[in-house]
Amino acid sequence: MAVRAAPATAVDTRAVPAARTVARRRARPGVVEWVLVHLAFAIVLAFFLAPFLWMGLAAFDPQASAYIRIPERLTLDNFRVVFADYAFGTALKNSLIVSTATMALTVLTVSLAGYSLSRIAIKRKNWISYSILLLQTMPLSATMVPIYGLARELNLRNSYLGLILVHTAIELPFLTWMMKGFFDAVPRYLEEAAWIDGRSKLRAWFEVVLPVARPGIGVAAGLAFLSAWAEVLMVLILVNRDEYLTVPFAFYRAARGEGSYLEVRYELVAAMGVLYVLPVLALFFATRKLMVRGLMGTTRGL
Amino acid sequence: MANVEFERVTKRFDGGGRAAVSDLSLDVADGELLVVLGPSGCGKTTALRMLAGLEEPDAGDIRIGGESVVGWEPKDRDIALVFQQYALYPHLSVRDNILYPLKVQRIGKTDRMERVRRVADLLGLGALLDRRPAQLSGGEQQRVALGRAIVRQPQAFLMDEPLSNLDAKLRTQTRTEIKGLQRQLGVTTFFVTHDQAEAMTLADRIAVMSAGELQQIGTPDQVYDHPANRFVAEFIGSPPMNLLPAERVGDAAIVAGGWRIPVPVGAASGASVTVGLRPEAIRLAETPAPDAQPAEVYLIEPLGSEVIVNVKLGDHLIRVRTKPEVRPEPGQTVYLAAEPGGVRLFDAATGEALLG
Repeated sequence: MAVRAAPATAVDTRAVPAARTVARRRARPGVVEWVLVHLAFAIVLAFFLAPFLWMGLAAFDPQASAYIRIPERLTLDNFRVVFADYAFGTALKNSLIVSTATMALTVLTVSLAGYSLSRIAIKRKNWISYSILLLQTMPLSATMVPIYGLARELNLRNSYLGLILVHTAIELPFLTWMMKGFFDAVPRYLEEAAWIDGRSKLRAWFEVVLPVARPGIGVAAGLAFLSAWAEVLMVLILVNRDEYLTVPFAFYRAARGEGSYLEVRYELVAAMGVLYVLPVLALFFATRKLMVRGLMGTTRGL
Repeated sequence: MANVEFERVTKRFDGGGRAAVSDLSLDVADGELLVVLGPSGCGKTTALRMLAGLEEPDAGDIRIGGESVVGWEPKDRDIALVFQQYALYPHLSVRDNILYPLKVQRIGKTDRMERVRRVADLLGLGALLDRRPAQLSGGEQQRVALGRAIVRQPQAFLMDEPLSNLDAKLRTQTRTEIKGLQRQLGVTTFFVTHDQAEAMTLADRIAVMSAGELQQIGTPDQVYDHPANRFVAEFIGSPPMNLLPAERVGDAAIVAGGWRIPVPVGAASGASVTVGLRPEAIRLAETPAPDAQPAEVYLIEPLGSEVIVNVKLGDHLIRVRTKPEVRPEPGQTVYLAAEPGGVRLFDAATGEALLG
């Protein structure tokens, strides 16, 4: 039978006086308190911003070092070298192809799997759910050898498909769970309304449930892209030909210099870093509203 | 448009236990508005969901227009459902919400727009067509949900407590509108509610359910005047029917305090019975009269057009409906007499009505 929501006013009336006392207590913070809080923020901020500051400066510095320094003159030469001598264009292209495809495949898979876990009544559903979560706890490095062997058997080494499948597999457990949570928040009556309006279950899912769970899809897409964009271990295992190298691997090679770690070309690493971060920043700003709403875990107010 | 039939339908949810709906048989005539009434958990919504195809019955048959729909997908049943929570698609505008079922049916664009316009006119939604559901008030959302149902011209309307999320004033108003619309469109309607006043005002016939079982089905007058059992007697009517344990002596029933109530001629019963008296089936006088039962006034509830006088008789509180000018003081002795036509008898053990 229909369970009727408790009247919201009952909650409101209790919440209001409590909120008021809190507000009064916090009304005028002491100067000391203000300074301390902001100092703490400043320290944390400096800690996180320093690498970016170094990267931004070093990328345009002809003679960068491992320390933050103001360049004597600015140059774009580092970027030229990165593309000309380190095949960074290929690495960027590879990373974009692999990450975008991983994102698409992951989103398709987790939105179907998460919906199934959320809605379909099957026996031992909890077991299935928890074993999926258990997969997430497995350290990636423990799977190196079997994945190498599998990829060799299936001829998936040195191929986009191999990278895409492995990166997708890495992301599936957590994102499946996450999407289950988003679908749990979509009221069942919405898809029931679509069924009754004449839609099949699959189309109702696509036309009604997915749009409502859009913030979740956004987060899943963002996380899948980022993960594939940053992943290096599996690239090391699966790729040994230059034409399939991705950006993190290009970093690795630049940092190694010419066969040794002693003569690192910091300005090149920084230039790569700038190019590496830009697409991610662009992606974030393009989808920030969706991402924030998704990360806040709400599908309301659509 | 079509009639709807339930034949011996039973539904049990996982975990067994009591059936949510047990051996339910009823029919809704073509164009009729049937209200299924009952308290929470009585199985009324389960019955509606089985008709919609959102649940499958364990046993029995459900037919729409004479054709069994058991096992059919909801999409193939050609019915419209108005949900308690309205279930508007939050990502679509009001216009697209109403258009959605028509798009599904691949109705041509000009025809589609024309039908949306007619429905918008009918429900006064014209100014809201470009808004999103979140920008509408509860009453407006309710209208859109109705519009989405009406625009399809389905075989039947199913309504699952569609008014229970509205405030009291809007609820009464929308109730009238739904009744008017239903008359105008002549669509077979299966309306589920827990509100007996809603049932009485809307229904062509009321089906009263309790604990998964159909208690009685009949016109509002029938279920009000001749409740089939004590459950129906108490559930319908506000204030509810007074039910008094009594002892049958000849052609009268003696209730607490020695009140002797003549019973309907020919009513067969055992020694212990329950007497049912609607609040308006008791005459209240402030002066003694022959055969009238003296009782003490406990409190009065003036309602403007009428007054409900609560009278203490032994351990029982009896509610009597009187004219607004009757205002006895609490503690005052008044004299009660049963209207001869208004006395109902129920079996004390089974609660079933004993017909006179």
